[in-house]
Amino acid sequence: MMSLFRRWSFLLLLFIAVLSILAPFSLSVSPNQEVAPPFSTPLWLKRNLPPTMKITLSENILKKNIAWPYNPPTQIHLSGEITLSVPSALVLETPTQKFVLHHLTVGKNTFDIDGRDLSFKQRLNFSPFAQIPSELFSEKGEYIFRVEPDFSAPPEMRGTITFDIKGGRWGLLGTDQRGRDIFSLFIAGIRVSLIVGISATLLASLLGLFFGLISGYAGGWTDTIIMRGVDILLSIPILPILMVLAAYWGKGLWQLVLILSLFSWMGTARTVRAMTLSLRDSSYIEGLRGLGAPTFYILWRHLLPETLPLLLANIALGVPGAILAEAGISFLGLSDPRIISWGRMLHEAHSFGAFTRGAWWMLLPPGLGITLLCLIFLDLGKFLEEQIDPQLKGALKQ
Amino acid sequence: MIQIIDLSITYITPSKSVFAVNNASLSIPKGEIIGLVGESGSGKSSLLMAIPRLLPSNTEVSGAILLDDLDILSLKKDTLNTIRWKEIALIPQGAMNSFTPVLTIGKHIEEVLTFHMELPPHAIKQRCERVMKEAGLDASYLNRYPHELSGGQKQRAAIATALACNPTFLLADEPTTALDVITQREIVETLATLTKEKDMGLLFVTHDLPLAAQICDKIAVMHEGEIVEKGSPEEIVKNPHHEHTKQLVKALLHLEGEEI
Amino acid sequence: MTNTILTANKVSLFYPSRDPKMEGIWALKDISLILKQGESLALIGESGSGKTSLLRVILGLIQSTSGYVELFGENINTCTHHSLIELRRKCGYVPQDPYGSLPPTLSVIDAVAEPWLIVYGRKSRLDAYSKARHLLHTLGITEERLLFSQVRFGLSGGQRQRVAIARALILEPRLLLCDEPTSMQDASTRSEIIEVLNKRVKEGMSMIFVTHDLYLARAAASHGMVLLKGECCEENSTKTLLTAPQHNYTKALVAALPTLSSAIQRDSRTNLLHNQYTP
Repeated sequence: MMSLFRRWSFLLLLFIAVLSILAPFSLSVSPNQEVAPPFSTPLWLKRNLPPTMKITLSENILKKNIAWPYNPPTQIHLSGEITLSVPSALVLETPTQKFVLHHLTVGKNTFDIDGRDLSFKQRLNFSPFAQIPSELFSEKGEYIFRVEPDFSAPPEMRGTITFDIKGGRWGLLGTDQRGRDIFSLFIAGIRVSLIVGISATLLASLLGLFFGLISGYAGGWTDTIIMRGVDILLSIPILPILMVLAAYWGKGLWQLVLILSLFSWMGTARTVRAMTLSLRDSSYIEGLRGLGAPTFYILWRHLLPETLPLLLANIALGVPGAILAEAGISFLGLSDPRIISWGRMLHEAHSFGAFTRGAWWMLLPPGLGITLLCLIFLDLGKFLEEQIDPQLKGALKQ
Repeated sequence: MIQIIDLSITYITPSKSVFAVNNASLSIPKGEIIGLVGESGSGKSSLLMAIPRLLPSNTEVSGAILLDDLDILSLKKDTLNTIRWKEIALIPQGAMNSFTPVLTIGKHIEEVLTFHMELPPHAIKQRCERVMKEAGLDASYLNRYPHELSGGQKQRAAIATALACNPTFLLADEPTTALDVITQREIVETLATLTKEKDMGLLFVTHDLPLAAQICDKIAVMHEGEIVEKGSPEEIVKNPHHEHTKQLVKALLHLEGEEI
Repeated sequence: MTNTILTANKVSLFYPSRDPKMEGIWALKDISLILKQGESLALIGESGSGKTSLLRVILGLIQSTSGYVELFGENINTCTHHSLIELRRKCGYVPQDPYGSLPPTLSVIDAVAEPWLIVYGRKSRLDAYSKARHLLHTLGITEERLLFSQVRFGLSGGQRQRVAIARALILEPRLLLCDEPTSMQDASTRSEIIEVLNKRVKEGMSMIFVTHDLYLARAAASHGMVLLKGECCEENSTKTLLTAPQHNYTKALVAALPTLSSAIQRDSRTNLLHNQYTP
């Protein structure tokens, strides 16, 4: 047991699971919300592009410096709800120019200006076709954004003014085609992969265990019927069936889990059946039957514990399969669009042209995430197999 | 003569070290049959396997094993190979179940000869026929597969394979376990006759003291890794020194209906 | 006859061959025996002699090809399945292989108590476990740690055999069938176990003790039957079988069995077997 806790895959899995549980509480916004322009690159790439930022002026902070070594932003937006003591102007000072963005009166001021507003362009004496962001931010250098009083008296302000600058970079992993933060999506997607992977495999293993034990122990017609059923199910190609069933039943998450388990219990059933067949003729089982022990007792008390280690290894190795199946289904677009999953992220990246845009940060994270999760479970499965084998050897060596 | 001097064998596992043999000393003179008797776990197989240096890699061996004047434990690999099979031949435990199922008995013996000696083909054939005869099997069995032979015949084939290179010493580890009582007797007699005729030294490892007493000139009794008694069968039965031997002999004689 | 435990009347067992060109074999041919209460019988034979098959026929695990077996007065071929189970509960069976005869996932004490719990139900747990403990102590397994360790770890072959014997004895059987139950014991434990069994025989248990060792047979039973290739070749008191064997096979067995006394009496080491019997 101790060796499990030291295993890298277990520790990593624990970390990932905790992350997926805590994430919704730590992220300030829902992953589904638009936070920046679509297809923004991650902050650590293309450093000439400006990051999307929000500059706020509030009660005591009436002036903010903006370091601007970038290209011009794509959009700007000014909004505010304040009360002011003296008439002032909202001013943006570039290294060489000064732009009065808005006049503020005494008392309550509420404004919401988009950089594309014609009136705004006119007020700043630009042509209706001018790109305000490029005009305002044409130079690289230090900018100052502040509330400048018309006269010398220092203004008192209550409320906030927000200067939204939409640039080309955002966050750890950029944004997708809807402007959603990919990093948040990535964290949110852990949950689906884990839930679908684990529950589909658990359900499949339970089904496999049940049918395998019954088939192996009962023998005769029961065995034949179940095994032919297994053969039939094995020969059905899973993807087309999944597509048909998804179209028929709807694209929910639990439907997916159900379908995946219905089509993956057969392997486990066969293994369990083989083990049961070899065990049921042991002397002690024969003796128990001879004594009149009920079948259920023999299955529950003896055969199940003996097949359990094998089952656990099968489960750990089956989870990657379920994760990949879910990812594949989602990638084909057959999953619920409202549910964030890594496969879905890949689907959207593909459909909305991430490849053509070269937005590899949209593709790599979910892809690597899937790979990493699969590797973790494969390593856990390997660990479980190692646990089983020495035990078997130990019994025989005596 | 093979001399084992103060041999100690320790098995090293990740959790602990287990000593299998503790300061054992034994001599196997040419022309004599030495028995090594002990229960399972007493260390007798480990001691036997130490001689041709066939212990697993996680063992620590200390002491000396001398073949006349040569210290086997300090030999280099290639020199060791000249000794194995040619001076010292091994019939390991379960040898009769260790034949490759897809090769005939003849092929097994030929393999040994080809690997260890350089002989022209007709000499190989002669040698095969001769060792089969010495082991008590008809030469026609050379063309049979292992599954076509009975347990006793397979054990004889194993003996024949061991004799291939005319060794001076034979090491036999439980050569008769799992055989019928009558076959057991026959095999043991064959081993005894063989070693006497060819003036070989035989180390006969078994858990069956009465069986060893049938053919051995001297018996060493092993208990929990140590040799607790050494002597001829008469000495051991009539005058046991160690407590363990005393109890063993007493129980055996009681069963046979003879009290001492 | 109320105290006839077992009657076997001309029991034969034929195993047909799967290969149509080959004939099957007769594992048992016309075996007859009667065992009364408190009697012990040694079945002497080697592998292939039919001794294991005979035990299985007696327990009703295989059906004989001809002949019948009566256990406690009832014909096992014609009785109901329920009656057969009741009959079996009065028997104890120690199989030859100690590795398949115990459930690997149970602890030692659970494995011994299990038959009692199956027959008498879970309410008799206290009884079951105290009996199990007592039996294990009698058979030399006393270490507490060992009692609660799992069967598949930490038990040597010899210990397994003793646990299997305890498991067979817990239901206080009226008939005990044991197949080479001391093969993995060393000489001293062997005698101890046979003493335990003999004590029970004196108390009224009947026993069939299978072995290839005539000396062991003499220690374990008063009467013996020698089996060769499914047939009974000699039947007599075990003492007589050893001292005055009639059949060639029995003679060869006696001559082949190694004994300490014979070893120290001979003067030459290479004493050839006086082989009057060729297999």
